[in-house]
Amino acid sequence: MAEREAQEYFQWTAALFDRARVFDKPEALRGIRVLELTTLVLGPTTADFLGELGAEVIKVELPPGGDTMRYVTPEATYWKNASLGFYPENHSKRHVGIDLHAEDGKALFRQLASRSDILVENFRAGTLDTWGIGYRQMREGNPRLIYVADSGFGQWGPFSQGRASYDAVAQTVSGTIAITGFTGRPPILCGIFIGDWFGGLMGATAALVALHHRDRTGEGQLIDFAQSEGLIRTLDWTWVRLGLTGRDRGPAGNRDEALVPAEIFPCRDGYVAVAAARDAEFAGLCQAMGEPALASDPRFATLPARQKPEHMNPLLDTIRAWAGRLGRAEIEAAGARHGFAATRVATARDKHDDAHLRARGSVWQYEDPLYGEMVEQGPAVKLSETPARIKWAAKPVGWHNHDVLMRLLGLSPSHIKDLEERKVVGQWADRNGARPPADWSGGPRI
Amino acid sequence: MSDSPPASDGRHGVPWAQFAKDLSDPAKAHDKPEALDDLRVLDVSSGNFAALFTSSILAEFGAEVIRVEPPTGDVARLYSPEGVTHRGTGLAYLVEARNKRHVTLNLHTEQGRLLLVRLARHVDVLIESELPGQMDAWGIGYRQLSVLNPGLIYLAVSTHGQFGPRAAQVMPDYDITDQALSGVPYVTGEPEGEGPAESSAPTKQGNWIGWYVGGGFGALSVLAALHWRVVSGRGQFLDLTPSEAEMRFSDAGVIWYHAAQRIQERVGGLHIQVFPYTLIKTRDSYSFVAGFSDVNFTGLTNIMGRPDLKERFATTKDRILKARELHQELERWSADLTAEDILHRFQDYMVHKRGPGTVATARLNRPEEVLAEPHWWERGVLQKVDDPDYGELLLQAPPWKMSRTPPRIKWACRPVGADNEHIYLKYLGLGKGDLQALRTAGVI
Repeated sequence: MAEREAQEYFQWTAALFDRARVFDKPEALRGIRVLELTTLVLGPTTADFLGELGAEVIKVELPPGGDTMRYVTPEATYWKNASLGFYPENHSKRHVGIDLHAEDGKALFRQLASRSDILVENFRAGTLDTWGIGYRQMREGNPRLIYVADSGFGQWGPFSQGRASYDAVAQTVSGTIAITGFTGRPPILCGIFIGDWFGGLMGATAALVALHHRDRTGEGQLIDFAQSEGLIRTLDWTWVRLGLTGRDRGPAGNRDEALVPAEIFPCRDGYVAVAAARDAEFAGLCQAMGEPALASDPRFATLPARQKPEHMNPLLDTIRAWAGRLGRAEIEAAGARHGFAATRVATARDKHDDAHLRARGSVWQYEDPLYGEMVEQGPAVKLSETPARIKWAAKPVGWHNHDVLMRLLGLSPSHIKDLEERKVVGQWADRNGARPPADWSGGPRI
Repeated sequence: MSDSPPASDGRHGVPWAQFAKDLSDPAKAHDKPEALDDLRVLDVSSGNFAALFTSSILAEFGAEVIRVEPPTGDVARLYSPEGVTHRGTGLAYLVEARNKRHVTLNLHTEQGRLLLVRLARHVDVLIESELPGQMDAWGIGYRQLSVLNPGLIYLAVSTHGQFGPRAAQVMPDYDITDQALSGVPYVTGEPEGEGPAESSAPTKQGNWIGWYVGGGFGALSVLAALHWRVVSGRGQFLDLTPSEAEMRFSDAGVIWYHAAQRIQERVGGLHIQVFPYTLIKTRDSYSFVAGFSDVNFTGLTNIMGRPDLKERFATTKDRILKARELHQELERWSADLTAEDILHRFQDYMVHKRGPGTVATARLNRPEEVLAEPHWWERGVLQKVDDPDYGELLLQAPPWKMSRTPPRIKWACRPVGADNEHIYLKYLGLGKGDLQALRTAGVI
């Protein structure tokens, strides 16, 4: 495309998606209320993705300890008395502490559910049903309710009964770990809670599908989502090949077996990923390597030729040798110049310092009333008319008790005081993870 | 209807598992309505499984998805291990073509672009994955199409996005580069100096996780935009980058750096936030085991018969910082046990409540071993689809069970251009003669 045209296009997109104008635009899910009773990552992310898009999220925790994730943080270190592991999946929520073992606590929870559009929980299958606050009971008071039951193995089926699950259980049972890493080396875990996060994304997606059905019919429904099944869904061609050829899949190191060339290579100052599946991109890569003849070599000229293992291996060796002589920035520049994909393997610092990611709000900087300056991973997708956003950071257990009980449910201050005295409603324990920062002076709870 | 209450309800009714199965068993999906059967989607993406997964999700929930391919077929049909094809199509594409109509259209011709403009008047969603600005330069970008169809939801997939300092940089979108940019490989794998140099490196996930995460966010944002359109009547432009999508998942990565200038490094099968939460060698395989809070660790040491470990590794911090040492103790214990033994001991402890704490375990399953577990078949997670064009295919089913509008697979794939006659007649009134002329001109 002509350069001037392109420039004009990017000026238009820069204005259309301007990060500075995000708060001047409406939110896609405004007026949708999400009630979550969740712990760790799977359930909280389900609600968080909806919250980023404008839903109002009320997070109910059992006081005074609250969500277990409040005590899961890198190297068990706390920052301003809070868990660093708790922030990424708990944004712009209102935190309420209710003891759900108490009858009056259940009644409060039922009241909140009757005023909500979506309920998210991730207890073991059937727990909330036993407590009398599950889907069966909640739909009576609110037939429009969309009930998302997140779990490891589902609400029914042999593994759903009494078997605990975490993210890495899902990685292990789904085949994910078996196809990752290097042959002959011990198996490795994904460095992030991938099964939880992907599960949260799938849970939120199904909630919006159900919302569309409700927009049309007024009906709510039950969604049973198991994170192990979410990961099974992501294993691309694994299952179809097993079915057609009986051939199992193992680890293939850092190369993409289906696209050639595509691999992560060491370079002078770190690691880079390089990919060039389309023939024109591959010709560009050959040009960049100073080996233009490779592009017309019958062993490499087409993708089907490059995919043959006897051709793929020497080709990847050639690229590895080339990449090893250069730095990350040089290889990225060569990709941009010659039209193939090349990028660094980013570290946390790379992401934190990246002006591009800041401009896009994918690294999101904001000032929280309690924690001050925050820099976090921001909303993933940019919506031109209804941009997603982060408003405030996660708060201590029960931080918004009064706000929610009084301004949403209309309870009087004396009623709330009574509930507090009877420990039906409560706030944080005096321990790291649950409590406010040491310098908090007891001011207003925004 | 399907979601009506059973005769007796609540705690005294049928057990929850039975109740939930009656409501949501995917075996009954075909008797129920589809949530998105009022939605039409044009997927003109090229060689991009993030885009394809987005349109798969919409198609699983009932949207009419029209895949637009060049006359020679999407390059995505070539992506396959060792280049293996089945009836002319690569293995990966057979997985993400479900429930989609397939037409051809050459966007490199003026006439082809005019036809796309006409088709775009009829749809709710358009998905593309050209380099940013390419569709616009062709006159078929969001700016142009939204004039004719203001309700259009336009999803563009790329690695660096449609705006920002790197937006104009040429960068075709691939899973491996999306993964790399997300930062997830940097924190996955064995640390430097452990084992051979080749494997002590940042490690990608074996599957296309960057593309699948991107595709999931694509569907989420399309659905949010759809709800907004119900409210406001307006469509919008959605800018999706699978790299940033997966980066959103990177746990405490950026905030740890912000708070403490710390960069998360690789620890192989150990973990920096919770421990024990790890893979251990067994007599026959490997198992994952977890027991990481104080009380859960108590449960684990009870099962191991090693209460002394509780004192040596008393706090969460001890267990994380001395994870290597604790891992050795775990492997000493598991060396003579099979994965099945461990599962049995954990389940016995949990089901019979033999002590405090929640513990979890799982055998490390190869995909073939996954197929051998009846659980997944009972839940309908894997499905043998009898496809008229491609025969019997083993596919991963949509992962949700839903009481009223469950997703489903209707067919697996269609050959290149197989729905040209149906779709061009239905939307543009083009008959056989018109199509022949377009074929001759290289447009379809």
